[in-house]
Amino acid sequence: MRILLIEDDLSVAEYIVKGLRESGYQVEHVADGKSGLVKATTEEYDALIVDRMLPNVDGLTIIQTLRAANDATPALILSALGEVDDRVKGLKAGGDDYLVKPFAFAELLARIEVILRRHESSSAVTRLKVADLEMDLLAHKVTRGGETFNLQPREYKLLEYLMRHAGQVVTRTMLLENVWDYHFDPQTNVIDVHISRLRQKIDKGFDRQLLNTVRGAGYMLDDSE
Amino acid sequence: MILSKIFTSFTFRFLVSYVAWLSVAVFMVLALIYAFIAYDFFSDVHRSVKLELEALSQAYEEGGSEAVDEFVEVHSGPTRLIRFFYFVGDAEQRKIAGNLNEWPDAKEYRNGWIGFDFESLTNMADPVGNEFVALSTQLPSGERLLVARHYADVLNSTKLVAGALTRSMVATIILGTIGGAITAGLSLRRIEHINTTLHRIMSGDFSERIDVSGSTGDFRRLSENVNQMLDRIEVLMTGVRQVSDNIAHDLRTPLTRLRNKLSDLHDDCSDPANREQVEALIEEADGLLGTFSALLRIAQVESGNRRSGFADVDLCTLVSDVIELYEPLAMEKDQQFNTALARVGKVTGDRNLLFQAVANLVDNAIKYTPEGGEVQVGLSVEPDCYRVYVADTGIGVPDADREKVFQRFFRVESSRGCHPGNGLGLSLVHAVVKLHDGTISLEDNRPGLKVVMRLPRQSSASKKG
Repeated sequence: MRILLIEDDLSVAEYIVKGLRESGYQVEHVADGKSGLVKATTEEYDALIVDRMLPNVDGLTIIQTLRAANDATPALILSALGEVDDRVKGLKAGGDDYLVKPFAFAELLARIEVILRRHESSSAVTRLKVADLEMDLLAHKVTRGGETFNLQPREYKLLEYLMRHAGQVVTRTMLLENVWDYHFDPQTNVIDVHISRLRQKIDKGFDRQLLNTVRGAGYMLDDSE
Repeated sequence: MILSKIFTSFTFRFLVSYVAWLSVAVFMVLALIYAFIAYDFFSDVHRSVKLELEALSQAYEEGGSEAVDEFVEVHSGPTRLIRFFYFVGDAEQRKIAGNLNEWPDAKEYRNGWIGFDFESLTNMADPVGNEFVALSTQLPSGERLLVARHYADVLNSTKLVAGALTRSMVATIILGTIGGAITAGLSLRRIEHINTTLHRIMSGDFSERIDVSGSTGDFRRLSENVNQMLDRIEVLMTGVRQVSDNIAHDLRTPLTRLRNKLSDLHDDCSDPANREQVEALIEEADGLLGTFSALLRIAQVESGNRRSGFADVDLCTLVSDVIELYEPLAMEKDQQFNTALARVGKVTGDRNLLFQAVANLVDNAIKYTPEGGEVQVGLSVEPDCYRVYVADTGIGVPDADREKVFQRFFRVESSRGCHPGNGLGLSLVHAVVKLHDGTISLEDNRPGLKVVMRLPRQSSASKKG
């Protein structure tokens, strides 16, 4: 997996490069917008990480230019501007996700993995399967080992998101944004309660625990064990 | 409303005292005028009586009682404007001549002046009233002479003068009051104009300034000074905000680096005891980061910039979403979670911030309510606003702290230590509500706390554009 990082803050860049390499990605780094745009248009990458404010050409322009040229390489925007307006602008420009600085590396990694996977499997699926847990998206039915679960609408949405990103770490913020569709800071870990309720339903009575907590990062629905 | 404003205004109170002092001053001036006029009248009366007495004694000394009769005939005839009465008696006050029958039963004043009441007079068919002033003298030969004057005309004149003066006093006060009221009304209107502008500024629109065009003199100078003061405050406020934002912002980056390094350390750690300690450190760092981002968020909300992103928000859906998110948390604490949602329309606002505000309130309610308690979330319609309330049966907030809970970092003393939190939750709620031109108040839920949030049905922010 090749990732291009366009970031002018060298300490941040160094940190991201180091982290991604440790996680098994190939990373190239450029520090200004102009050469970043050249590299992004002339070479093939699996994903882009673009700082919003860059010398010469800013991050949003880079992504807009790529999208105008029908280049759909998934792009994650990094920005110190964290307000909803900025976020919306970033996503409208063609970014696939938006991460506000400063961020925990786990959050960046989780989001990168999600956009990479999303790009991979954009074809319409009607069934999701993780180990023996199955979700029928058309019939809105969830079964595990022949047993059918009765899920609340939100629990269903939560499980669907986790199943679509099975094997990936999903952070609490990602869940709030994608399952609840609100961007806010919960004062308590209210998500934990929802996860444990879901866990009660899908994992109770089974030998293998599918829904796991990843300390310091988030959760993962995982069948590899 | 406007009447009560007028009555409580400084101008009105100034006007009242102005009218009071005006009345006193006018009264004093008019009383002085009256005193001068009355003094003139009475000294005139006295002089005329004195002259008559001198003429009478001269006539008696020269011609005896016949001369007196002749003198009386001439001086008290009906053609005379002022009516005098004369009496000449011997040492025992027996009548010798004159048109009075006997020495009147009179009160003696100083210098021979006497006053008496007289029902009816001799030689006169009609009684002339009873206000008389008289002067008597004793000749060296022993005879006593008396001249009396009826002075009702003088009294009438002074009454007329007094009446005229009273009327002019009333007229002065009425005219003064009307003039004062008009002046007060004019200045009140200008002050009102300044006040409404200041009100808008206080509600967050700091770019607003008082319109100085059209006003002149004192008010223009006042407005210009207020405007300059506002400029200065704005500069200072921006400075303070920038400093605190910069601190939070600049500290956030190294703190994140610290957190990330801790996270690396955590991954590399093989000793479970060390791992646990590192985990605790990561949690600590996350708490600090949370505080900083909350501070920055409040600063952002308070700056009012978020208004640009306002859209229609379905309050009912939003509150239901909060409830749906938090209900499991309450159930975990065995709390009864009751909701009473009326169907309401939309408000203009930022859905994420409104969600954050309601979520913070519900979060607090659950946090401060003991196990088995009750949390209630409601939404209702009021004439010009929507009312969102979150009530709990927890420890509540003492009256003295009600205002302070919205301050940054303020925490009720009893909750320090035993409940996690950074003291910013309600500050953020307050900032969000203010951004939406709403109000927030704390009420006693007996026991517990009831937080009531009111949001205008049609946010005025949208009208301002």
